[in-house]
Amino acid sequence: MKIWSSEHVFGHPWDTVIKAAMRKYPNPMNPSVVGVDVLDRSLDNQGRLHSHRLLSTEWGLPSIVKAILGTSRTLTYIAEHSVVDPVEKKMELCSTNITLTNLVSVDERLVYTPHPENPEKTVLTQEAIITVKGISLSSYLESLMANTISSNARKVSRYNGRRAVFLGKRGNPSKSCSIPERPAQRK
Amino acid sequence: MNSVGEACTELKREYDQCFNRWFAEKFLKGESDGDPCGQLFKRYQLCVQKAIKEKDIPIEGLEFMGPSKGKTEDSS
Repeated sequence: MKIWSSEHVFGHPWDTVIKAAMRKYPNPMNPSVVGVDVLDRSLDNQGRLHSHRLLSTEWGLPSIVKAILGTSRTLTYIAEHSVVDPVEKKMELCSTNITLTNLVSVDERLVYTPHPENPEKTVLTQEAIITVKGISLSSYLESLMANTISSNARKVSRYNGRRAVFLGKRGNPSKSCSIPERPAQRK
Repeated sequence: MNSVGEACTELKREYDQCFNRWFAEKFLKGESDGDPCGQLFKRYQLCVQKAIKEKDIPIEGLEFMGPSKGKTEDSS
């Protein structure tokens, strides 16, 4: 199992970053995502927007890796649950792969919040847990995937000046985000 | 961005345009009364669910209804 996490600060306010995050794909910085569909979307009783999306990705695994994994599938699918709280200004995305699950588990979680010291900036914390199952090259493959995620996330910092900010994959240890109830104090 | 079902991409684009506009101009500004994209979403969903079945994508059993979740009113 490999765990990867990072934190990144965008030089834009939360609303701007969230609007861009919702329109993240197609993303030239992460061309492996080739399809995105919304499967369900609704507001909960606290006014938070929940979305469930299906992403199709083309990992571009080296052919030797595909041969070792014994798969000829090139497309993998990811289920993502996101929650946007416009009052608390928090967006959380959790995702997990739903194919190749007998071989690998990639769970990611991203959280966007305003920077605690500067409302003109936004903080993204991102973490991924990668587990490759059942084969002796598991450490190597876990590192390969973690490096890909990390590299995609680093591409953000190189393009920090762009209004449309793109990030690495999203994820979470569970298929759905565990979103606690917002404390009382609403107007 | 394409849909998982090639035939659904145009329906997806129409829905996305509607949603992105509502999200930026209403939802993030605290005006979340009603979702004007209900009809577009329904048409898009019919297509996507069919594509998911055809491609045998394993979405069964995923939690699509979180706790304390209510549906928006369909305003169109």
